[in-house]
Amino acid sequence: MAGVSTKEIKNRIRSMESTRQITKAMEMVAASKLRRAQAQVLNSRPYFEILSDTISDIVATNREFSSPYLKARSGNRVMYIVIAGDRGLAGGYNSNILKLVQSRIQDKEATVLPIGKKAVDYFKSHNVPALTEQYAEAADVGIGDCFSIAKQLSRAFLAGEYDEIHVAYTNFVSVLSQVPDTRKLLPLVREEVAKDSGSTNGIEYEPDSEEVFAAIVPEYLGGILYGAICESRAAEQAARRSAMDSATQNADDMIADLSLKFNRARQAAITQEITEIVAGS
Amino acid sequence: MTQFPLKIVTPDGLIFDGMAEELVVRSTGGDVAILARHVNYVTPLGMGRAVVVADGKRRTAACIGGMLSVVDGEVTLVPTTFEWADKIDVERAEAAYQRANKVLHDHSASDTDIKLAEAKLRRALIRKNIASYK
Repeated sequence: MAGVSTKEIKNRIRSMESTRQITKAMEMVAASKLRRAQAQVLNSRPYFEILSDTISDIVATNREFSSPYLKARSGNRVMYIVIAGDRGLAGGYNSNILKLVQSRIQDKEATVLPIGKKAVDYFKSHNVPALTEQYAEAADVGIGDCFSIAKQLSRAFLAGEYDEIHVAYTNFVSVLSQVPDTRKLLPLVREEVAKDSGSTNGIEYEPDSEEVFAAIVPEYLGGILYGAICESRAAEQAARRSAMDSATQNADDMIADLSLKFNRARQAAITQEITEIVAGS
Repeated sequence: MTQFPLKIVTPDGLIFDGMAEELVVRSTGGDVAILARHVNYVTPLGMGRAVVVADGKRRTAACIGGMLSVVDGEVTLVPTTFEWADKIDVERAEAAYQRANKVLHDHSASDTDIKLAEAKLRRALIRKNIASYK
């Protein structure tokens, strides 16, 4: 009787150990990928920041023209670029971002541009129309793809196909904290900053303001999109690393618990055998 | 010469952050040179040679796409790619050139392929050309 239970416990320990090996290996892989992704985020952040600062500077100081990119529309058609991962087992990384998007698009006529396999699958099963499923591999999306997405979307925005364009990504705050977030890309918001006279004397545009804007806005979108993808990738690896870390710890706890049970069962079996021998003689 | 603060950032990182004396870039309308105390100015960039003069030294680079802005005397160059002449991988540019050339001579290539190849060819030519400045 006792023998069966020690065997069962032994089997469970063995399967737990192999699970632990897998989670440990995944954690290590994620940690090394995270280092690379983190370096990329740190490199691309100044670009991301300066680009959006420059654009908001131009928008804030511009008094001469009204670009269609600046005009807020009353319509309800929104476009969400959603950046998620290609694989699961990354803690709440995929579900957090998808839940956030779902809550944002609830009462709107939404189209999405999913990036990453998880996003593609999610919107397919929730019957949200997707613009393209071309970007099912988030890991393969390069800066060239970002610029072609940006060009395509700004054309569609100008043609009036969408009233707003947003990007949903996961902000890589630190190795331990990743926050899903959305950001409005178009129309550009004019921030009413109460600036001291400084740069209110206008900006010279060459060849002319509207052409400059028409050329710069797609670049801006592409840059921001690329930054968002870098952030999301780093966040995904960080989320996977910590999820796998706690999985490994859980496995350790369970193995310790089971070993204790195993030893007790073994001891009980021995004691019982001795008692039987003593009683028999 | 009077100096001005210059920042050059690309998606690959901060390339230059400091004082410079002169900046020459190819905008969509042709080459422009920026000196200190330039008026507030914004222009999209074309593809071509960029020259930065800092501490009396001239450095040449291949600068493609993006924009240039001068706001309150601070000059920010935000190109899509920016490579100093001595860091250009000539072999890669040559390979890209050959590949693009092949597509352009292929009669069965689609219009979008040809457009892409043309852009690639132009970038490769600029890189090869700038690399000879080092």
